[in-house]
Amino acid sequence: MRVTKGLASLALGALVALAVTGDADAQDKKKIYLSLSYSGNSWQSEAANIVKALAKTPPYNDTVELIEVISGTDPQAQISDYESMIANGADGIISFPISSTALNRTIKRGCEQGVLFFMYDATVTEPCAYNISYITSGFGENTAQALVNELGGKGKIFLSRGVPGNSVDERHTNGAKHIFDQYPGIEVVSEYYSYWDDRTTQQETAKALAAHPDVDGIWAQAGEYGAIEALRQANPDRLIPITGENSNGLRLALANPEDQAKGLKGVSAGSPPAQSGYAFKLMMEILDGKRELKPMNIQYPLPWVPADAVKVCEGDTFENGCNVFPEGKVPSSFVTEVFNPELLPELSLVSALEGEPTPGATIQPLAADVVVAAPNEPGINCQRCEPPADLYKLTKIEPTVKP
Amino acid sequence: MSLEQDMDTSAGVDTRAASRFGSEAITIAVIFGLTIVLILGSRFISPAFGGWGQTETILFLSSFLVFCSFGQGLVILVRGLDLSIASMITLGGVLTTTWLAGSNEGLWYVVPAILVVSAAIGSISGFGVTMLRIPPFIMTLAMGIIIYSLCLGYTQGTPRGYPAPALADLMRAHFLGVPAPVILLLVFVAIAVVLQSWTVLGRRLYAVGNNPIAAHVSGLSTNKLTIGAYAISAMCAGFTGIALAAYANGATLRMGDDYLLPSIAAVVVGGSSILGGKGNFLGTVGGAILLTTLGTILAALGIEQGWKTIIEGAVILVALIILRESVYEAIRVWMGRSSTG
Amino acid sequence: MSAADTTPMTDTAQASDKRRLLTGLASQGAVLITVVYVLLWIIYASEQPSALSAYSIESLLNNSLPLMLAAAGQTFVVLQGGFDLSVAGIISLSNVVVAVYPVEGPFGALVNLAMVVGIGLAVGATNGFLVAYMRIQSIAATLATMIICQGIALLILKAPGGYVSEFISYELTGSLFGVVPVAAVIGAAVAVIWLAFRRTNTGIALYAVGRDAAAAELSGIDVRRARFAAFCWAGVLYGCAGYMLSAQTATGNPSAGEPFLLLCFAAVALGGTSFSGGSGGVIGSLIGAATLMLMQKVLFSTGVSSFYTGVFQGVIMILAVLFAAFVQYMSRSRGNR
Repeated sequence: MRVTKGLASLALGALVALAVTGDADAQDKKKIYLSLSYSGNSWQSEAANIVKALAKTPPYNDTVELIEVISGTDPQAQISDYESMIANGADGIISFPISSTALNRTIKRGCEQGVLFFMYDATVTEPCAYNISYITSGFGENTAQALVNELGGKGKIFLSRGVPGNSVDERHTNGAKHIFDQYPGIEVVSEYYSYWDDRTTQQETAKALAAHPDVDGIWAQAGEYGAIEALRQANPDRLIPITGENSNGLRLALANPEDQAKGLKGVSAGSPPAQSGYAFKLMMEILDGKRELKPMNIQYPLPWVPADAVKVCEGDTFENGCNVFPEGKVPSSFVTEVFNPELLPELSLVSALEGEPTPGATIQPLAADVVVAAPNEPGINCQRCEPPADLYKLTKIEPTVKP
Repeated sequence: MSLEQDMDTSAGVDTRAASRFGSEAITIAVIFGLTIVLILGSRFISPAFGGWGQTETILFLSSFLVFCSFGQGLVILVRGLDLSIASMITLGGVLTTTWLAGSNEGLWYVVPAILVVSAAIGSISGFGVTMLRIPPFIMTLAMGIIIYSLCLGYTQGTPRGYPAPALADLMRAHFLGVPAPVILLLVFVAIAVVLQSWTVLGRRLYAVGNNPIAAHVSGLSTNKLTIGAYAISAMCAGFTGIALAAYANGATLRMGDDYLLPSIAAVVVGGSSILGGKGNFLGTVGGAILLTTLGTILAALGIEQGWKTIIEGAVILVALIILRESVYEAIRVWMGRSSTG
Repeated sequence: MSAADTTPMTDTAQASDKRRLLTGLASQGAVLITVVYVLLWIIYASEQPSALSAYSIESLLNNSLPLMLAAAGQTFVVLQGGFDLSVAGIISLSNVVVAVYPVEGPFGALVNLAMVVGIGLAVGATNGFLVAYMRIQSIAATLATMIICQGIALLILKAPGGYVSEFISYELTGSLFGVVPVAAVIGAAVAVIWLAFRRTNTGIALYAVGRDAAAAELSGIDVRRARFAAFCWAGVLYGCAGYMLSAQTATGNPSAGEPFLLLCFAAVALGGTSFSGGSGGVIGSLIGAATLMLMQKVLFSTGVSSFYTGVFQGVIMILAVLFAAFVQYMSRSRGNR
């Protein structure tokens, strides 16, 4: 038992020392927690890096104490971490929520204690939390219409989905099916889950290709670059129209004349990591008393880059309308939509990759009328609510073929 | 459980070795038979199925599972379990892309270096299990969490770089009309079968798994052998990671997640005992191919995910019921009768 | 595991002897992990003074209870010498059922409880039948039933949603008379039931089968029945774990059970139950599970919370086991002298 006691007092001593030094420089700063889930793709780290970079950009470098917490993929762990953050006197929590519903009670309790909750990309249905997300902007239906247009209204297609039992995947797929169902000529021959991961997409697409080598198009969520790799593996000379999210690999391929000649067409849209930065700036403006934010659900615009709009960047930011980086500068699975010249002019590639501020940049205020409220979507951003009648209205593309 | 089965078959001590050999052969035959039935039957689902093209895809995709299941099988053979496989695959993939950084230069030393690093990590797990007597479940689970976290930190969440073009080309190459990865699979299986079933090392691992105390008394260094099994397992997982990175032309941090449970399933469906000491690698290969075939067929079915999942579980269950010991017994008795009568 | 190695494993000693031995072994594992748990608590409380507030304790217990119940169930199967992967499937299925078919009021809570117990019992009995009577390896049989349960859960609820009845989500996560957290009462109840169960014939048979099935059979124990019972108990406890998880999250999620799969084995191992069967006990697993959830708090409060969290998590798990083994070794060597 003596050993135990010795150990305990040693550990205690060390911890007390830690605690004292830790608290010294934390005065007068806003205490912000960044709570992450890691599903393992580069999207998560880019989104986190953007917040870290902004927190280091003047004047936030003097006014914000940002603490990053990774909760893995278990909602129970994130609940526990939220509780700790509230107990530690957080001013705000900016987070990628692991579950759209399981965290609600903890969040509600935090709100009652005056903690601001900002969710980016994924959402929660608790009404006291802000949701900053592109999910309501119609990724599924718009990309589906783009694919239908490319295929002339008929053909066999694959749906490469996200994670089973996930509300985001469900929303995207419902939107897409709403379009596909209008075209009797479109036949969904295979539908598989790719976990928003390049390598899983590649294997699952390869399996589907074994059954349907004559597929005409692929509608994909994140991980779409894996679908291109699978097609190349199966037949190096034939590609087909693909719609997918914002990977550097897809955009480069869309703009590559060789790949175009083999049959690759499509559009790159989907989840931008830049949402986290937008959420962070909105939150800070509220905390600094510069903004009052009425709507709790705020829409982030859907990035939309068809093949003819792809433009390779020469520098480290999106300048002159460019939207993809040259091969070798970033991995193929890198998600390009880390920038937004209008909302986040402070960022450059070093922010997205390393979480470091752009030298010389300072925080630019958001325009007063910048906020666009998101429509209600049950299970996504509200519970027991009615969706608008035109939920799946097309916003980015017109149908060019009649059903 | 193995004790009980021995008791039930009541074959007597003398014939046990022979009967075991026979039952292993039957397991392997049945499991490959089931796979072939599945492949042929899948013709009803898609006209493109049931041919060489589909078989090629299945062999190709199952090769990754076969690689890591070999190591898992060895660890299970010596009464352990390796839960660090998923993270070790990720580590292999991440090191392949970051160390090679898209160039062929250094290929000759990077690949062996990754295998050595993996084996070293596996040895640490083995050391913890044998010398420190930490339960394998905790040791390998903790090791997996640690390695994953190191991968996360090392890549800062974004795995960079590409594997060597030579590796990526290899995954797409064909020799005499057969895809190179399928040939790689055959070579790997040949080496692994020889290692496990025909070498002194293999026989000693069986001895340790059958009865560690007896193996120790008879002069085998059981600890070293067990550590060796964990090292080989980690090395196989690292190798799987290299192959996957070459196939996907890049690495992701969850690239190993899909292999942990399937690697255990392949070993157990393939007729090995989870309690150690019993099993044959060819059975594991059959198990891996069976599981991949099932996945391929399910991917082509146009039904709800819930039903797909239920069918997957049900088919595994049916396979397990068919592959039961008592069924072999019946087959053996029937074959014995028909040959004498 | 080391405990099992030192016990004479020969055969059926007299029941009373065995009982004493078992009590000793089980309590030893539980005592060691309790020491680890208290140590972690001291670190946590010294780092974060609010840890001792009634609310913090209540929320920590609420957070820990589902894993504690799952680990308690798993212990039954591990004790008889097997693995039960269906834990993930049963928890998902129970959670989804409670959220899709909520029944309000205290009576409704009982109805919902009956549903999850029914699910757990049905799946557990299936597992027990496959393992005990069909002689399929437990890890393989339960893998299949886990997958099937996940499929059914997905059919019932496609994406997270549904509502858990208010009585379950508020009363069962609150405190009795505003003082004693309900979660603590439930945890204690499981411990008491276990202590009683262990002394029954089935309880004794469980240990005997896990230690040496052949010897147990010879001494007249119905090995199959004991195995079957273990899986049924396990299933019921997983169902309750899903029930309490629903109470905490107040909604359903078709993949809610997945995180429990590896964690509940880790909890059982931390609690000192041997995976070769026949030694250990439920109380150790309960505290083992609580330790894992407390670890999350400790990691947070000590500021270890970036990319390298996992390194500390892994190292603490290994150290906890080593520490328990070390204390055991010390006490044994002292006793021998």
